[in-house]
Amino acid sequence: MVKSYGWAGKVLQVDLTNETIKKVPTGHYKPEEFVGGMGLNAKIFWELGCPKAGAFDPGNPLIISVGPLTGIYGPFGKGEVCSISPQCYPDELFTYSGFGGMFPAEMKYAGYDSIVILGKAEKAVYLSIHDENVEIKDATDLWGVDTFEAQKVLANGEPEASILVIGPAGENLSRIAVILNETKFAVGQGGFGGVMGSKNLKAIAVRGSGVVAVAKPDKVMELTKPIIEENKKMNWLRLMFRTPYTAPQETKDLFARKYFKKHYGCYGCPLQCHSIHYIPGIGLSGVSCGNWLWAPKFSIDPKEVWEANVLTQRLGINTFEGIIGLPFLLALSFEAGILTRKEIEKDIGLPTPKWLGGTATNHEFLTALLHKIADGNSPHSEGVARFTEYFRKKLASGEKLMDLYKELYTARGYAFHHVDNLGSALHWATDTRDPIDSCHDYKNPSNPEANEHFGLPPYDNYQIVNLSKTVYQGAERVAAWVEDNQCLKNSLPVCEFWSAIPSFYNPPKMDLRIFESSLLSAVIGLDIDADKLAQAGERIWNLRRAIMVKRENRTRENDTLNEPYFKKAITCLAGTATGLASGPINRAEFEALKDKYYDLRGWDVNTGWPTRAKLEELGLKDIADELASIRKLP
Amino acid sequence: MREAPKSEFLVHDSKTCAGCGVCEVICSLYHEGVIGPALARSRIVRHPFTAEHIHETCQQCSSPSCYFACPLKDKAICIDQKNSTAYVDEDECTGCGMCVGACPFDPPRIKINVQKNVAFKCDLCKGREGGSICVKYCPFQALKIVSKDKR
Repeated sequence: MVKSYGWAGKVLQVDLTNETIKKVPTGHYKPEEFVGGMGLNAKIFWELGCPKAGAFDPGNPLIISVGPLTGIYGPFGKGEVCSISPQCYPDELFTYSGFGGMFPAEMKYAGYDSIVILGKAEKAVYLSIHDENVEIKDATDLWGVDTFEAQKVLANGEPEASILVIGPAGENLSRIAVILNETKFAVGQGGFGGVMGSKNLKAIAVRGSGVVAVAKPDKVMELTKPIIEENKKMNWLRLMFRTPYTAPQETKDLFARKYFKKHYGCYGCPLQCHSIHYIPGIGLSGVSCGNWLWAPKFSIDPKEVWEANVLTQRLGINTFEGIIGLPFLLALSFEAGILTRKEIEKDIGLPTPKWLGGTATNHEFLTALLHKIADGNSPHSEGVARFTEYFRKKLASGEKLMDLYKELYTARGYAFHHVDNLGSALHWATDTRDPIDSCHDYKNPSNPEANEHFGLPPYDNYQIVNLSKTVYQGAERVAAWVEDNQCLKNSLPVCEFWSAIPSFYNPPKMDLRIFESSLLSAVIGLDIDADKLAQAGERIWNLRRAIMVKRENRTRENDTLNEPYFKKAITCLAGTATGLASGPINRAEFEALKDKYYDLRGWDVNTGWPTRAKLEELGLKDIADELASIRKLP
Repeated sequence: MREAPKSEFLVHDSKTCAGCGVCEVICSLYHEGVIGPALARSRIVRHPFTAEHIHETCQQCSSPSCYFACPLKDKAICIDQKNSTAYVDEDECTGCGMCVGACPFDPPRIKINVQKNVAFKCDLCKGREGGSICVKYCPFQALKIVSKDKR
């Protein structure tokens, strides 16, 4: 047998309906072409025939992959989950979510590049993986138990295992449920916690006592050694997350001084960019950039936000939706006179705190809201998009609520997140979810050398902050470059934070992929240069597009944003960290930009479908043949 | 009691340790050319719900039971002339496991590399220019070498 370097070597397929466990060599999925993570997930999904199943149907596969760099020293500790998403709106689309923590490296040490979960168990189960030994075990006692407690119970039987778990929200098929590892590493956007819940799968506990061989250990040592010094330069990021950085200064100081416990991050990464905070009597968890977004606006006590944050993690709810999106929508609707206190209390069914006109404490309001989400049988648990859809019909002011939602939520049921220039707007239009979680690139001062190499215009977002003033010239090249790069980051993987910020991975004198391709080559023992790696990124993006075309009837018409973005300046989030005032986008110019984008992509301008020529150039002849057979090849 | 020369030893500060595993990853890469805590000489046992992580490594005993238990003492397990740690000579070691059974710690801090069939343990990276690699790479300075007089 040929020794495999970088990849662990096996794809684990577990069918919960038939209780069968199969191990397929990773080589079957051509990892040298699809890299790992997102690319491998997409390839596996394609080979499964791109099932048309709904998100909660047993036919929806839940695919978890790591990449060839996962688990080595440096910012590479991530994994990627792909599945048909219950959060996407109005249609459930095949989408992705990255996640950090300890689980990805552990699963690789257990010998698996991917874990594919198919079917649905008859009763609550969890998956126990200890190297070669894989078992489907009873979890009826764990059903209903929160994510923290469930992990503690599982740790008794699975010592030192790393655990992915869902909370009550996932069990009860909330569309905004997360899969959690430890106290804060979440598979967040996408609602994949509900997909696990729909399979009666409470948890995956993995323990690996193996190792991953690298082809050229000395070269890997040499290439990663500068990370020690680079890491020191990244300290500002670590300090930023040492406090809830969108909170008011006094809250930040309080958290840094009093509640900070430890830095926290992915396995093998020296940065440990996130932090663990602990408030006695409330508990321990981490903060991200979002938790405090709306709280300062409405003067919410930091302890109350923290309490809600911990409860969100325990119930397994997406923070972005549960304690940001929904309260934000309610607050803005209330401020604008769209919703009254009475409507919120009676029709929406929540006690209202002071900033919603009532007398309830924030604790009462947030706890009620989060439990409604986790209980699974109210519109709240459906996510902000479907929540709005529900009340649109019920309330006199329903249409106005919908209009506000469409401002706050850019496309496909995902909240506004740096739609700050035409490049990022185009990317939002062509993706299946909010892409910015793995594309902060649009916020980056651009790299002159990379610009020249890839023929990109400068795209320094700090100068181009308004969609109405942003340049249309060349935005399609920026979007295509970032899209391909996003595919690589999520496949190798490389940490979003490290690669998006001018640092080792984006040095002034070198395109970031030169480093990545050298490191990848040293790890896997194949010679992959920067251009070949860039092409792999393009291949993955095209494969993802082919999935959209085949499964979701994606066409040019679908590549758009919610209408308000073309009609007015979006100012509702001005002043928050996620939103710069923007818009409107000129629709005619945007359509002209799309023409140029499809042309650059080698896709058909009328349909937005990849052409045979492009697919064959990328070595995807089989995909072109399949698309031709269903008459979706231009 | 049998004594070997006192050696330096590695101490860990669980207050600052983030549990990132950098020490494990770099140890296994440097010594074994692979990545994974299973072949790291020191282990971090993580406790995510208290954020207090424990470090398991050779204590560089003044009376190293592994060394005295070795049937090929001074060949397979030797005392380094320079830093006085007990170390394994892979060419001589037969993987008999006597040392593992003799280690007074639980779990034993000397282990068997099953693929190579030899014992392995932390020798503070003897002979490495710049000292122990985990100390050098630890991003939080949670690991340090304490001199023999401090014992």
